[in-house]
Amino acid sequence: MGREVSESCVDNLLIEMVSSYCDRFYANKPELAARRIEAIGYQVGHQLSERYTMERPRFSDHLEAIKFICKDFWSEIFKKQIDNLKTNHRGTFVLQDNQFRWLMHMSIDPSSDGSGLSHDASGALVDNKAAQAASMRLYFPCGIIRGALTNLGIPCAVSADISNLPACSFVVRIKV
Amino acid sequence: MIVCVAVVGQQNNPLYIQSFTEADDALKLHHIVHCSLDVVDERVNNPKKSGPMLNETFLGLLYPTENYKVYGFLTNTKVKFILVTTDLDVRDADVRNFFRKFHAAYVDAVSNPFHVPGKKITSKTFAERVSNIVKSFGMGSTG
Amino acid sequence: MPPIAPRSGDAIFASTERVNAELFTLTYGAVVRQLLTDLEEVDEVNKQLDQMGYNIGIRLIDEFLAKSNVSRCVDFKETAEVIAKVGLKMFLGVTASVTNWDAEGTTCSLVLEDNPLVDFVELPDTCQGLYYCNILSGVIRGSLEMVSMKTEVTWIRDMLRGDDAFELQVKLLKQVPEVYPYKDDE
Repeated sequence: MGREVSESCVDNLLIEMVSSYCDRFYANKPELAARRIEAIGYQVGHQLSERYTMERPRFSDHLEAIKFICKDFWSEIFKKQIDNLKTNHRGTFVLQDNQFRWLMHMSIDPSSDGSGLSHDASGALVDNKAAQAASMRLYFPCGIIRGALTNLGIPCAVSADISNLPACSFVVRIKV
Repeated sequence: MIVCVAVVGQQNNPLYIQSFTEADDALKLHHIVHCSLDVVDERVNNPKKSGPMLNETFLGLLYPTENYKVYGFLTNTKVKFILVTTDLDVRDADVRNFFRKFHAAYVDAVSNPFHVPGKKITSKTFAERVSNIVKSFGMGSTG
Repeated sequence: MPPIAPRSGDAIFASTERVNAELFTLTYGAVVRQLLTDLEEVDEVNKQLDQMGYNIGIRLIDEFLAKSNVSRCVDFKETAEVIAKVGLKMFLGVTASVTNWDAEGTTCSLVLEDNPLVDFVELPDTCQGLYYCNILSGVIRGSLEMVSMKTEVTWIRDMLRGDDAFELQVKLLKQVPEVYPYKDDE
């Protein structure tokens, strides 16, 4: 095991990064804020995929790479694996984390209408403020997954669905 | 003796190439690196030929020329490492060990937040690390 | 009841929930890189990193006080030691040494030999004015303000600029004890 920092370092950095972009730099342009947060995640995912695949053979297909994201990659970041992986066998994969760590410290009313979101959505804004904050925060892990898969040779779009809190599903659509 | 090492990107774009000879044969070495890329592509696209090495990052000896031996390595992120040596009697383990250390140096270099993916690696730290790895080649050091 | 003994930075760090530093390091790096793209001016990036740190600091102090059992530090000298040996350790896993006290005992330096924020980082020539770790000075300023110490925190040495260590100068501007919201132990 290499160097470690306290988990609250990461938590606080993420909270502050998201609120800086949403409340200060792009206060009235949530779609721009979302794109920047996703870009930050993308860079991190790109770099992490390089690091975390160092000691392993190359993947022979998309499924193998996705499974790597669900198991080793997720474990490195969250100390747990993705709980459920589904696919329609036509290039869409749904990765479900039943207790997504980066949402656990957030107080979101589970009865509120959680919304699916994606960065190409035309902006059906969520009313619930907390759910909106959660949505904004999810652009970061979406970016991480997209960055990692892209670097592994799988260009894709990634969105998050929090309609079943505290579970969170990441929907990966591979671009053909 | 290692005479040349190179990092080549997903689109066969050179990211780093460094020769370690006194002689003025950079052009020739660059040509050898260039030719080796075709061999890598061929190996990867026709995995049957590589048999037991299927999907292994270490690609082994790509081809011997009269004066050089050329070895290759392909990362999971489709980045190629090429090693050109004048040694005729090279131990496989030494080459693997070289690529392992070279890979670690590469991964750290692209972890610099200011490195732009697909752009040339200009890091001084990387150049120094590579030069040390090249110097220790075949010396049985594990550092 | 006897007062609960303050815990050492090592003990707190060992018992705290920890993560792979790479994730933190790379995330911070990506944030800095994105800020440079969006804000363009290096000075503005320095300012925003400091602001982000300040906002984190005013939140982090609660976690610090809760986990460390450190009661109010009245003395600035003692406070500096606590930041260096407990505060930095329990969050970043590193400690600093406290040096260069001025005669009045209101200015000192925190010297870090090592710092997880800068692993892998090499500053490009275009960012020479960047205080890459400026979030750290903001965190210290923010958390000290919550224990009624108004400070000014500036970088004296920076390894990314070729110095042999990281040196943060902390200068106590004023102390306003009446704002302190916690009760004394006795």
